[in-house]
Amino acid sequence: MVTSPAALTARELELRQQVRAFLAETLPWGKFEPGLGMAAPVNRAFSAALAERGWIGMAVPARYGGRDATAVDRFVVVEELLRWGAPVGHHWVADRQIAPVLVRYGTEEQKLSLLPRICRGELCFCIGMSEPDAGSDLASVRTRGVREGDGWQVSGVKVWTSNAMRADFMIALCRTGDGERHAGLSRFLIDMRSPGVTVKPIPYVDGSTDHFAEVLLDGVSVSDEMVIGEIGQGWAQNANELAYERSGPDRWISTFLLVQEFIRERADLAASPAGSRLIGELAAQYWVLRRLSLAVARAVDAGDTPAAEAALIKEMGTRFEQDVVSALRELLDRELVCGLQPTQTLSLFDRLLRRAVLDSPSFTIRGGTNEVLRTVAVKGLS
Amino acid sequence: MSDDDLYSVATKLFAAHSRWRDVGAAEADGWAEPLWNALQQAGFSDVSVPEKLGGAGGGVADAVQLLRAAGAHAAPVPLAEAGLVGGWLLASAGLALPKGIRTVLLPAAAPPLRLEGDWLVGTARPVAWGHRAEHLIGLVDGVVVLAPGPAASGGPAVSRGANLADEPRDTVIFDGVRVTARADAPDEVTEESFWERMALGRAALMAGAVSAVAAMTLRYSREREQFGRPIGHFQAVQAHLVTIHQQAAVLASAVDGAVEAVELGRAGFEIACAKMLADRAAQLVTAAAHQTHGAIGMTREYPLHYLTRRLWAWRDEAGGHHRWPDRLGTALVARGPDALYPAIQSGSEVVQ
Repeated sequence: MVTSPAALTARELELRQQVRAFLAETLPWGKFEPGLGMAAPVNRAFSAALAERGWIGMAVPARYGGRDATAVDRFVVVEELLRWGAPVGHHWVADRQIAPVLVRYGTEEQKLSLLPRICRGELCFCIGMSEPDAGSDLASVRTRGVREGDGWQVSGVKVWTSNAMRADFMIALCRTGDGERHAGLSRFLIDMRSPGVTVKPIPYVDGSTDHFAEVLLDGVSVSDEMVIGEIGQGWAQNANELAYERSGPDRWISTFLLVQEFIRERADLAASPAGSRLIGELAAQYWVLRRLSLAVARAVDAGDTPAAEAALIKEMGTRFEQDVVSALRELLDRELVCGLQPTQTLSLFDRLLRRAVLDSPSFTIRGGTNEVLRTVAVKGLS
Repeated sequence: MSDDDLYSVATKLFAAHSRWRDVGAAEADGWAEPLWNALQQAGFSDVSVPEKLGGAGGGVADAVQLLRAAGAHAAPVPLAEAGLVGGWLLASAGLALPKGIRTVLLPAAAPPLRLEGDWLVGTARPVAWGHRAEHLIGLVDGVVVLAPGPAASGGPAVSRGANLADEPRDTVIFDGVRVTARADAPDEVTEESFWERMALGRAALMAGAVSAVAAMTLRYSREREQFGRPIGHFQAVQAHLVTIHQQAAVLASAVDGAVEAVELGRAGFEIACAKMLADRAAQLVTAAAHQTHGAIGMTREYPLHYLTRRLWAWRDEAGGHHRWPDRLGTALVARGPDALYPAIQSGSEVVQ
């Protein structure tokens, strides 16, 4: 099992310093509303500025607009962005998921047309996996792609799709053949401006209507050029891709800013015996989750696919993100969450805590529920 | 020899001399003579002590690999006390390592041991395998001392005690015992660094024990059938397996991180984390492993208890359960909010 990473090199530490300096200049602390991990706000200008520095799609080969960087380089950048609460929403899926998928499975035309735009921070993607009757059980998707002339016609319903209302493209898992449950699945890139695409916002648990959506696909035309990899290989691709997205800092860092701002705003409580003990315990867990997560990135750079490790980390890291919220809440009095204070006097910590209480159940659901992850992880144990 | 080679050589030694029945016999008798002799012959009891001081050479990483192998076999000997901790104390003061059975006198017993001239006075507890020790190594009033143990002539009196794993944890009473050797401790050797060495040793043993519990439980879950299939096919049981293997990974990584930091010369943060994580792992892993095994795991006929009783005992040793989060948390809060993430990234470079 891969558990211990080589320390960051001088070059990697220099990269971290560059990202820190960029963030301090672009998003001075106190001058923006930080987000909670990957659910941070969408800010196209910020994504463009980040891309300008070469930090979106950085592992993409240079001939497609990337920087030929390593998985560890990306780890270094993403870690700094997330722990700063930077607004990564616009490019997040494109950077973490779509760019590696296109590099691995894309045609030359797809790479040439899409990767440079991803690396410039222009494109926003959404992920069309869940359906009304297919959540954890993705093999039962019903959205169908039917051969029509020299392309495909896609019809069905995708739900609980993050950022569908602003995405340029959806990566959609669809049934294109019958046969076994896992066979006959394919993935398409669907242009969200195509005729037949309708996006209907679904109010999220926090009351926002600009995040979750239902996407109706009614005979949407998709050309062969927008098929990802081979027809019928969607399931295998999907499984591989989940390995990439499982173990990054986004799976254990989402609620870090609560701890930081707790120390800032509730200094007396943090310095109390119970407060200090909790900070010590949380620090130990952050330290080791970070080591495990970095070890996976190092292993990916060495050409390995540490899928079992990645699943173990995500299952543990996402539960930890939730534990942070409940542990801090228990130290505090409950008014903060119940809203007995006037809204305009809520401090940053208060706001982060309120958001975290509402959002944290999603941590162990998004990207594959922990219950399903555990069965995946067990298969890889030896 | 690489660390992996050392680990596999040590594993062979423990597999031959620390079989479950050897561990059981040692728990009853208080000692495992053939195992200790084999460790001395191989030089494993003296690893990380320089050869010029009578040690076997090697570094902290080597000593920790041996302790991992020892923990996986529940080895009933004071291996950490003899080398990583006691050997380090003596070597730090330039004192030669004596042959024979040796263990350490922990700091900060109340009232503490004291030196009257060259004579040790006071009571030390708990002393691991104290009753068998020919040599005792301690840090008293800033002086590293070597004294005869209860098993040597002219040694102190002893009364027996044991931890939950029936490992001897004795009380040694010095009523004026003349030290064999003494030298002032260097500045970096303090009660705190002594506790850190102890904590690193326990964390390494616990990492070994947890990895052995993980292997034992996975194997059992694939062999034991209920409702017509191996119990490991049930999702509820899989959740336990995941917990155990997560903690095995956590502990392996934490101990490696602590060793790397020791080699860089500053390890207060990393050792505190490693011991905290080991204590937490002990709780989670013993619960999940016993639940997976069911009733058979509650018997002395099945070997799980050799490992789980040690995890329960060791989590409370080396400074106690709350010492490490309290110290680390206090230091982190004192450095303020903006140092928290840099400390998580760079550990003792930021906060000791």
